[in-house]
Amino acid sequence: MEENEIEGRIYEVGYLLTPNISEEELPASYGNLKELVGSFGGNLVADEMPKLISLAYPMYKTLQNVITKFNTAYFGWVKFEMSPEKIAELKKKLELDSTVIRFLIIKTVKENTIAAKRFVHRDMARRKVPTVKKEGEAEEVVEINKEEVDKEIDAMVA
Amino acid sequence: MKQDYFSSNNIKHIDYKDVEILKKFLNPNGKIVNHKRTGVTSKNQRALAEAVKRARFMGLLPFVAK
Repeated sequence: MEENEIEGRIYEVGYLLTPNISEEELPASYGNLKELVGSFGGNLVADEMPKLISLAYPMYKTLQNVITKFNTAYFGWVKFEMSPEKIAELKKKLELDSTVIRFLIIKTVKENTIAAKRFVHRDMARRKVPTVKKEGEAEEVVEINKEEVDKEIDAMVA
Repeated sequence: MKQDYFSSNNIKHIDYKDVEILKKFLNPNGKIVNHKRTGVTSKNQRALAEAVKRARFMGLLPFVAK
């Protein structure tokens, strides 16, 4: 049983890429990272494209013997299944990568752990709970609300 | 008494990338708010602290906010 658990361990790597990478090069370095995970026998579960964020505090990294200061970085993450021995190798590889300012390997679960999107409309979350008590009509109302919210989100994205 | 935010919103996993949620539990200096003030269960408070620390490491949240 322990063996099975080890085989199916889910990890997530969050990383910060240097902002020196141009917009066109970004998909390439993002693809490289995913490939790297794949090359260590990782099965991708979920991932997110790196986005340029302003860091909460400046970070420093030595690049070609020069200490470089970063105020912005591309933040992205990948979630995958991998064995614990391989993750150590992946860690070593990431440490050598000059485009990665920092990275964070965490153990996680297969399900989606991000909850923020559900709370765009807070009353929606409250309505979800009492649906069990109410009859069929109430459930329909909830469904309509969901669609409306989806539309709103689509409009916001577009 | 304040209710546990995470169980009342049905959040089972506290993710370090959910910065908007984590920010609710920081004081203006960027410190993690005491569990007596947050009303979060001990288990969730530990998970929350872990998530905040991870978010800080990745530059998503500040260690100190002036």
